[in-house]
Amino acid sequence: MDLALVIQTALNGLANGALYAVIASGFVLVYRSTSVVNFAIAEFMLIGAYLTYTMSLFFPLLVAILLALPLAFIFGVLVERGFVRPLLGRNVVAVIMATIGLAATLDGATLILWGPDQKAMGAADVSQLPKEMPSLAFSLGGVFLSSKAVWSLILALPLAILLVLALKYSRYGVLLRAVSESETAALAMGINAPRVVAVAWGISAVTATIGGAFLAGAAGGGGPGHHLILLGLIVFPVAILGGFDSVPGAVVAGLIIGLIEAFSQLYLESLLPGITQAIPFLIVLLVLLFRPYGLLGQHRIERV
Amino acid sequence: MAEINVENLKVVYRGVILALQGVSMRAGAGEAVALLGPNGAGKSTLVRAISGLLPQYDGRVLDGRITLGGEDITHLPALKVAGLGLTAILEGRPIFRYLTVTENLRAAGHKLTPQRQKEITDEIFARFPRLYERRFEQGGYLSGGEQQMLLLGMALLTEPRILVVDEPSLGLSPKLTEEVMRVLDELRRDKGLTLVLVEQNARAAFSIVERVYVMEQGRVVFEGTAQEAQADADVMEFYLGGAVAGGFSEAKRYRRRKRWV
Repeated sequence: MDLALVIQTALNGLANGALYAVIASGFVLVYRSTSVVNFAIAEFMLIGAYLTYTMSLFFPLLVAILLALPLAFIFGVLVERGFVRPLLGRNVVAVIMATIGLAATLDGATLILWGPDQKAMGAADVSQLPKEMPSLAFSLGGVFLSSKAVWSLILALPLAILLVLALKYSRYGVLLRAVSESETAALAMGINAPRVVAVAWGISAVTATIGGAFLAGAAGGGGPGHHLILLGLIVFPVAILGGFDSVPGAVVAGLIIGLIEAFSQLYLESLLPGITQAIPFLIVLLVLLFRPYGLLGQHRIERV
Repeated sequence: MAEINVENLKVVYRGVILALQGVSMRAGAGEAVALLGPNGAGKSTLVRAISGLLPQYDGRVLDGRITLGGEDITHLPALKVAGLGLTAILEGRPIFRYLTVTENLRAAGHKLTPQRQKEITDEIFARFPRLYERRFEQGGYLSGGEQQMLLLGMALLTEPRILVVDEPSLGLSPKLTEEVMRVLDELRRDKGLTLVLVEQNARAAFSIVERVYVMEQGRVVFEGTAQEAQADADVMEFYLGGAVAGGFSEAKRYRRRKRWV
């Protein structure tokens, strides 16, 4: 076994995993605060990536991402206000069907707004050269890391960790956890639950944007296209492995699934072509069979 | 002024279940009032109505008025009501079970400046040393009495002028109940609060309130001072389990009907 290759694979896996972690933590945040499984999370990524693309036509790529984030936040809040809030307290199946409907709607909307063809960041049409982030690619002792991987590692990973810490220690994090437990009790204590929930949706859209933009290739080369929706499905295995209601769990699970994918690509793909795409979902099966509350899912507190 | 007035309140759940059929009650500024009565009398519904939380339970006010210091709050959302200085401790000890004691207090005191929050938190810990010992533990693992103390602490952090407490004695031992009542009384006197205490345990409530309302089936069936209630043989017997050994379970409903409805 080639040590340098193993390290390189691990770092690449962590880089992808960090993106999964960011997206999944936003997804879990929404689930915790509203008990809504957002089946439109992949479309959130898509919209975020397209927003980044539109911004990238006018600004350098890094600035474009930063500008897309507040827009994504507003988008998330609007979805919550217009779409989720009226359905809260309804039948679970009704809400699930509604988010699936939302996914289809957003899907169509992006087709209308941005067209079916795959974009390249910063390029209005094929005649223009795509923009790229400053290259951070490096190679050290046989370990080569692409610029995209480095950017993912230095942006997404700290963001995911920041989200975990903020949820645990910040004032708003405490309020969010309080609201996620009981909206009625929170209201009785004068906590502005509707606003807290809206912020959770906004943050979820922001994290989906970061993940979506980078998975789409914001760090160099590629750009948003509808293949992102397939990539977005990875959120479900990550969230389930993490425990579905645990943000730290989602981060850890994201990194684990990123690593597993990378090594499966390296060692298993040649034996079983296509296995890498299936592996996260095999993990789901195993988790649901043997450990339904995932890695860090909440255990019910019951006093006897 | 922190005075609460309920006039002829009718509340309906899901559009059909009439839970309050015209209830009137009053708690003057700084006064302590108890709402007594058996299960299903509508006490908790009244609490929800006053605190603006009816929509959370699919209920709404059909008729009547609630005023707080002269201001109409009948259809005000819960957040606005809380903003006016009314804090309700709902039944079932609604602490945040997955938050630690400290986090519970932080959540309740989120509107205060950090400094003021610390002052009050210190005061709470001084009052309830047990909470201080367990401050890093999740609320769900506290005992019933500790949870009730935590709730009182949380209520204090909202700096209320009116405190509505729904069944604080539920599931507590007589000794703890006594302790909770003592603390409520202390807090009320220290802070000059208006207190609306909802209880099934009438004996405990009598010790700290000035006036009493007895409710049954969505109506107020008795109104008077604590002394009057204790002197009224019917109230004591049928509602408050005084003369009849065993309390409500043994008081026969048809006899109560004869007297009141």
